[in-house]
Amino acid sequence: MIQTGLIQSAHNDLVTDVSYDFYGLRLATCSLDQRIKVWQLDESNGNWSVEDDWKAHDAAVSKLSWAHPEFGTILASSSFDRTVKVWEQTSYGAQGESQPNGASQQQPTPSSSRWMERAVLVEARGTVRAVEFAPHHFGLKLATISSDNQLRIYECLEQSSLSNWQLSEEVDVLALPSSSSQSSHSVAFATPTQTSAALDSASASLVAQALQQSQAPFGQSRPGMGNREADGGWCISWCKDRYWGELIATGCGISGVIKIIQISPSRRPATLLALTLDASPASHAVSSETTTAADADVPTPYAVTSVAWAPSCGRSYHLIATGSRDGHVRIWRVKPSEDGDVDDGEGGDPKWTGSVVADFDHHKSAVGRVEWNITGTVLSSAGNDGRVRLWKATVGNVWRPAGSVGVEQTEDQQDADVNMDENVVAD
Amino acid sequence: MNVTGHLGLFPPLVPPGHAGDFLQSGRVLLSTTSPLNDTLAVFAAANVPGVQSSQHTAVYSSDDQPIFFASSEVTPSSERRLFIGDTSIIFAALQNLTNTARARGPEWLQNEEGQRMIRKLAMDYINFTKECWIHASQAPSQPEGSPQFSDDHYRSLYACLSLFAVLYVPEYGFEDAPVGDDLMEWLNIHFIEPSTEEGDHLSGLERPWQDETFWPYLLRATLRGLSKAATFFIGTLSRHSSADLRRLSGQVSPLLSSQPRLQNFSTERDFAYASHRWKDKIKTLRIEMDGVPEADRQDEFDNWWDRLSDLIGILEGRGEVIQKVCEDLGADWKEVCVAWGVFTDTRLRRQDLPDIVARILEEMPPDPTNPEDMMHAALFNGDPARALIHAAHIDPWLGAHLADMMEVLSLIEIEANEESGLSLRNHYVLSYAQYLHSDPALWRITVAYMFSCGEIGIRSADEVLARVPMGLRRTGDKLIGSGEKTTEGTSNLTDLARVVKDVNATCYEYQREEVRRVVCRIAAQIFVQEKEYGLALSYCSSAEDWPGLGRVVDRVLEEYIDAGPDQFTHYVASIAPSLQAVRTQPGAQGIFIHRLIFAVRYAEFHQRLKNQDLYDAAADLMSMFQEDLVPKSWWGAILCEAVTLIQHNAVLLFSYASACILLQRLEEVFTRADQGSGDDYLRVLMAKSKGSTLQDALTRLQATRLALAKYFARCAMIGTGGKQIAERRFSVGV
Repeated sequence: MIQTGLIQSAHNDLVTDVSYDFYGLRLATCSLDQRIKVWQLDESNGNWSVEDDWKAHDAAVSKLSWAHPEFGTILASSSFDRTVKVWEQTSYGAQGESQPNGASQQQPTPSSSRWMERAVLVEARGTVRAVEFAPHHFGLKLATISSDNQLRIYECLEQSSLSNWQLSEEVDVLALPSSSSQSSHSVAFATPTQTSAALDSASASLVAQALQQSQAPFGQSRPGMGNREADGGWCISWCKDRYWGELIATGCGISGVIKIIQISPSRRPATLLALTLDASPASHAVSSETTTAADADVPTPYAVTSVAWAPSCGRSYHLIATGSRDGHVRIWRVKPSEDGDVDDGEGGDPKWTGSVVADFDHHKSAVGRVEWNITGTVLSSAGNDGRVRLWKATVGNVWRPAGSVGVEQTEDQQDADVNMDENVVAD
Repeated sequence: MNVTGHLGLFPPLVPPGHAGDFLQSGRVLLSTTSPLNDTLAVFAAANVPGVQSSQHTAVYSSDDQPIFFASSEVTPSSERRLFIGDTSIIFAALQNLTNTARARGPEWLQNEEGQRMIRKLAMDYINFTKECWIHASQAPSQPEGSPQFSDDHYRSLYACLSLFAVLYVPEYGFEDAPVGDDLMEWLNIHFIEPSTEEGDHLSGLERPWQDETFWPYLLRATLRGLSKAATFFIGTLSRHSSADLRRLSGQVSPLLSSQPRLQNFSTERDFAYASHRWKDKIKTLRIEMDGVPEADRQDEFDNWWDRLSDLIGILEGRGEVIQKVCEDLGADWKEVCVAWGVFTDTRLRRQDLPDIVARILEEMPPDPTNPEDMMHAALFNGDPARALIHAAHIDPWLGAHLADMMEVLSLIEIEANEESGLSLRNHYVLSYAQYLHSDPALWRITVAYMFSCGEIGIRSADEVLARVPMGLRRTGDKLIGSGEKTTEGTSNLTDLARVVKDVNATCYEYQREEVRRVVCRIAAQIFVQEKEYGLALSYCSSAEDWPGLGRVVDRVLEEYIDAGPDQFTHYVASIAPSLQAVRTQPGAQGIFIHRLIFAVRYAEFHQRLKNQDLYDAAADLMSMFQEDLVPKSWWGAILCEAVTLIQHNAVLLFSYASACILLQRLEEVFTRADQGSGDDYLRVLMAKSKGSTLQDALTRLQATRLALAKYFARCAMIGTGGKQIAERRFSVGV
């Protein structure tokens, strides 16, 4: 591993997310300081320079996502102020109807581009923890997950103005049954109506809270103890493949489960598969029915705080990585059913299966982020041990550590082959 | 390329051994991977959820929020790029060969022509790595400093490839020939022993046998089949004090230089016969040696007899002697194995080698810390798959290219791994492509390797192709892009067009239509932002993205609203030529084309208006309405613009019928406005006069109504359809 660059000071407060654009030539950063910055890479020397900088939200910005460039230069930001905003970069001179973001008035930026606030999505009733644009072949859509346990899917109705976003799905992730049942009977039994779903979500999150308080959390990584915001929805990741339709992996609560939810225009969202370590998925399903289970011997609950669906790149299976508070990085191999064409009738959905193909506890502390490279061959995981670790599959398809970087000073730091001066960006 | 290593980022955030402090400070570490080159961006983040920034500002300095960038690969330097580029040509040639083989049937590769071609390509790789080695070893004198990879690295590649060729890609017809001499040649080229310096040193001495390096040198030279050097120093013993040694050395000399070599014989039978005769002579010599009394076997320095006995033992081919000598000399298993093929079993075949090697390796294992040694051992041992593991460790380049050849030669499993879906070859080739991806400039080569790896490779290549950087964007007056900075916007766009063209061509070559369309759609977006509407339009139509085409036209029409007719006609001039092309394209969807036609016609109308060509302008206006080209949202705006033509004093520009049509349209707008859908008809008119309300717009239209009323009055005075009304046929079309 070698260090190739450094932005010495990105924001005036802790950074909350950093996101590369489609090409990796730009970087959007956001922070507790409520601002978003967009940086541009100078490929000739590897330096990053600020292109735009503006106050984006009324609270800390939690996450950023770039839309596919075929829709233009569009960024979505989610925030602790319970909103998601959609921003578009316009070149100077193009006068939109909305005013340029406020930053430019306070402190003129060197660039001539302006990021216009095109839409504010206000449906969330809690911190919006993550936002991610759908793969481009599904159109201009985005998914959000928030501490109110809701997964929301928005669809842009007017691509030219970007101002009109329709909330096309709203799913209470905890209340959604963990497994899709083959028989319509049990679906009717398990699927609550829209109104009761909202009630369920409230009770479920109380359950979650009770669980959280009764059990010693893993490590000391739970500063939000007793805070309602501490649980709820954590993470989302879209399936990048077009073939299987709109699928999204979602992590919510402290059940340690990732639900793969199928979004389809003709049907209500349903769980296609729940990734859980337990042999019987039902026991992990947190729904209103499991309230009693909370008192029984439940394994130490933990939140899966990061999920990453690997680009499938022609593989016959999917790889989904999770990073969780129990200190584990896991890679799941998820396979659509082989005999999906058995019957096409009602409830004849192909049965998906998932199994853990790698389970690493090297971080020994909560794992905050997992992410794949563009071909799904290298996984990176970042943990509270202050290290980012890489993982690759060997020729025998066994996942192995493939290097790491850390912020702790090493013994031979002085000898480290780092050429700092050239890469420092003073800002 | 220490991929499994750990890197401490600089500047470190916590002192050694205090990783826990980091978390205590309310921070966590997060990272994200760059699609450009897999660079990691690592940053200290707030430990969500819900920590207020005030809670931890005391712990760290607020003006220090670094983002670190780290990569597991070193971006290839110029000399390495050259190596990558040139060897990719050989790789492509081998691809062609396998494709040909696929067409001609698998047995074609097994026949003479196929085998010769494979060997030729293997030789190409070898020669090329040799060149690189020579080049790199001269590099330190170059001004740009030492190369990224040491000369030893290329030497290692050269040695590994050469050994592979000796063992697995023999000349056609020689597959079943004894391999000893070939291996000895390989060993002597790549692992030179004894050194020339030692020889020079000894040859300068009056009594070299008194030097402690004398016998080791002589034994090594013998072991390596270096008969000239060995004979020379054996010759010096003629001055030795021992009469026995003088006599014996005189007999050894001719034997050393007369050892039969396969290459000097036309048939193996003759060679075997000669070898047998030669061995007999050695036996005679051994009997004579044994006759030397114990007491006479020592000179003042050494027991010369033991040493000479070792030498004779080597020539006799005694395995235990060879191994002992090698151990004494510090030589490794390779030397024992090679000597075995030259002295012990002169007819050793390639297929018999693993048995011998396995036995030797048990007692003299290879160095596990040296991947090159491990790789040689695996090749000697007849285990190509294992050799690949070590090869990839030395350099992903070596793993990929060896695996590629091995598959063609059926040395490794062709079937895909059930779990990963990748064959051995594809795994290694994709690993190499992964490495190449660390350098975005190498995208052509990256995808070429990927495209050779089945469905998984193809789809991986798609991801890379779609992301070939073309995002050269304007940033104020400054343009930032991969090339040199320019202040000229157009050259920047030319660059962009060139990249898009390149990617397009590559997509065509590999038949990746879907990716090509994505790239075209993105290009169209960028061109729209740059107001290059003509290019944007042609990329939309190339991607068959009709809704996208519609949006481009909308943007052009907006130019009219924002900037007025002059700008508008200027922009339309750039899109008009594509209209014809788009119209002829099958599958082009009507509604969007319709809008394009309107834009073009509308621009023409304005052009005529500007040129005071009022007859034609009026005709244009009418035909646009009659052909239903005008989108509803434009009706208000166009009816408003018609006023000047209607009020034209000199002549009446519209026929009575035409004026009626205008009136009809006008009435429709008013009626609809009454019904509450005025927005649909007046949107553009309202946008044009910025900030005006629906009511303002309707008021403006009243002017048109009044003008039309007057017009009808004039018509009535002159007489309907009177002579002064232009009797023109409306020219339709563009």
